[in-house]
Amino acid sequence: MDKEYKYLIIGGGVAGTTAAETLRQNDKDGGVAIVSDEPRMYSRIMLSKPNFFLGKIPFDQIWLREERWYAENKIDFIGETMAQNLDPQNKTITLKDGRILKYEKLLLATGGEARRWPIPGSDKKGVCYLRDLKEAQTLIENVKTAKQAIAIGSGFVSFEMCDMMRQADLEVTLVMREPYYWFPLLDEESARIIEDALQKGGVKIFRDAEVCEILGKEKIEGVILKDNTKIDCQFALIGIGLSCNLDWIKESGIKMNKGILTNEYLETNIPDIYAAGDVAEFNDLVLGEKIQLGNWVNAQVQGKTAAHNMLASFDKLRTRQPFKMVSFYTCIGFGLNIAMSGDVRMKPEYRIIKRRSPESGSFARIIVDANDEIIGATFINRTQDMSVINKLIESDFKVASHETELADVNFNLKQLLPKT
Amino acid sequence: MANIKEYTRNKEGSNIGKIVIDRDLCIGAASCIAVSGETYELDNENKAVVIHADATDDATLMMSAESCPTKAILLFDKIGNKIFPK
Repeated sequence: MDKEYKYLIIGGGVAGTTAAETLRQNDKDGGVAIVSDEPRMYSRIMLSKPNFFLGKIPFDQIWLREERWYAENKIDFIGETMAQNLDPQNKTITLKDGRILKYEKLLLATGGEARRWPIPGSDKKGVCYLRDLKEAQTLIENVKTAKQAIAIGSGFVSFEMCDMMRQADLEVTLVMREPYYWFPLLDEESARIIEDALQKGGVKIFRDAEVCEILGKEKIEGVILKDNTKIDCQFALIGIGLSCNLDWIKESGIKMNKGILTNEYLETNIPDIYAAGDVAEFNDLVLGEKIQLGNWVNAQVQGKTAAHNMLASFDKLRTRQPFKMVSFYTCIGFGLNIAMSGDVRMKPEYRIIKRRSPESGSFARIIVDANDEIIGATFINRTQDMSVINKLIESDFKVASHETELADVNFNLKQLLPKT
Repeated sequence: MANIKEYTRNKEGSNIGKIVIDRDLCIGAASCIAVSGETYELDNENKAVVIHADATDDATLMMSAESCPTKAILLFDKIGNKIFPK
């Protein structure tokens, strides 16, 4: 045994780091360690922002913790290595370099990785992803040398990267399988606002389109679509979602699906093992189902909740806390700000209240379920409504006679909140 | 001139006298709202604004600033010294 920790955290992103911080604040002496394949905690969220890419802010702004922060907080940071095996019977983790660490409580916060592009030839140089620092650095190099780029996918990453690439004066073509942007999470009307902004910003869009061939020898020189359209490019940005590497815990007995399954306390089926952040497929009390989310704030709050529950398992004076939060995500690009909160997956029995102001180009869709409760919303240039809507989602607010008010942009939504 | 907004904090017993949001850095990730929804909200430009500077305790305020993925929240003590980021 190389070392023993009261709390061992696998993953040094926002979930793992927030957990370590919370543990240290509440347990001054218990041993805490973070195992991470990266040098220290940085802002993953900055990776897709033009200010970072185009060097408008110093690179060092990306680091969210100083090197000395770990020592000051008595947190062992075991960096640039990976966990390779988990033995829940003996409560040990084996690292890639052979070291064995013993734990009393284990938190799995390993996050996810960019889903690989399943097209032959996608291993050519110039095919880039954006998930970690190394990938971001490769991408920056490619942006500097390329003249033409394609972006694959119709989500947050593609949208933000198209903006960055246009700011870097690249000729950009967006290729998506979907009939419109963000299908099926957005409706066509919202998607057209986004597509208009992309096109006005100089991005060429191919809808219902798929790449079937990647041209070039070692380096990408272009692609051919299924309808035989040829697009020249020296660089491809792939933004088609997230996947989790769970192979290393396959034999551990931990239940998993696409992510690691947990209850609302972020506990897995194996005692003393918790999961948080992008890797956790947790029981969402707001939606009433198991769900996996890939976003910063979710990971941050889950790291804190998992830490509280790890502390509570030692301390009878503490009670376990469930994770309950209306999740949301926001992004900016091409003069638009876009946000989604709660559950935005439409079902036939749901209805939508449209809250829009054509003059200001703003459009929110408030999604109401069969129980007459708001369960989600999408916002284009209406993020000012998000806080209130999230509170309405959380409080099981009944729409009833308030439909006209919700649809009226001149109505102050705060009036619908319960008086405090 | 940086695009910043300053908010004076008068909470009794608090060591924090001022909250500053750097609007050029803010990207509307809203992690501050997740930590303290009583203190912050997003405005119509998707930037964080302070709605109640006195709403929460110092530890929560500090956590809200630390949670910002772009370090857009700056905290100052009562005599104007920057407490965060250090």
